[in-house]
Amino acid sequence: MGIFGSGGGGEKPPPGKPKADFSNVKATSSSTAPPPAAPAAEERTYVVVKGDTLSKIAQQLYGKASAWTRIYEANKDLIKDPDRIYPGQKLRIPQ
Amino acid sequence: MKRSACAALVLALCAGLVTACKKAEAPPAPAAAPPPAATPVPAPIHVVDISLGKSLNADQTVAEPTTTFAPTDKLIASVKTDGASSHATLTARWTYEDGQTVNESSKAIAPSGPAATEFTLEKPDGWPTGKYQLEVLLNGASAGKRDFVVQ
Repeated sequence: MGIFGSGGGGEKPPPGKPKADFSNVKATSSSTAPPPAAPAAEERTYVVVKGDTLSKIAQQLYGKASAWTRIYEANKDLIKDPDRIYPGQKLRIPQ
Repeated sequence: MKRSACAALVLALCAGLVTACKKAEAPPAPAAAPPPAATPVPAPIHVVDISLGKSLNADQTVAEPTTTFAPTDKLIASVKTDGASSHATLTARWTYEDGQTVNESSKAIAPSGPAATEFTLEKPDGWPTGKYQLEVLLNGASAGKRDFVVQ
């Protein structure tokens, strides 16, 4: 006499009714609420040294001098004149 | 007559003087400025309503709430929330009468006020008839259940 096979399992389909198959159910969802903001990418910084220009830094970090505007835009609170940056300034470098 | 007229004149002058003095009194202090309106703190997100239906309005609410579906219908749940959260997870857990999980899907939202989130289920070969239940969870905690049938 075993402990199995006593029947009466709660999830057992009633006799004559095959177990339902939900393997092909397709689910979608949407919301009027915006999705959560993605976590901020790790921000790089660059400390200006003597002789640096934004173009030079852009060439060094992005591989193209023309990308200096990205650095300027990200540091407008620090840089009043893009032609004048000073040694020791800590610039944010956007990804 | 002259005396009484003179007295009346004096009295009138005095009365005028009193009036003038009253007018010269310092103006009443201006009413205290109303306290600055407190910045309303948004309520934390909470589930307001869970509706089931077969089609949606443009605002993600159920067009005609029902708890009876045909095997070929889409099963649509619309969950109305209120309050704010920078990251909340709504989960729709659908189960069949035998306890089987039909589907469980989640949606991450960041509402700043009232919002509606819909979950839609489709089964190309039709839903088995029987009793079903939808349970909605907000951040893992049950926020409500709705029973419905497919017949």
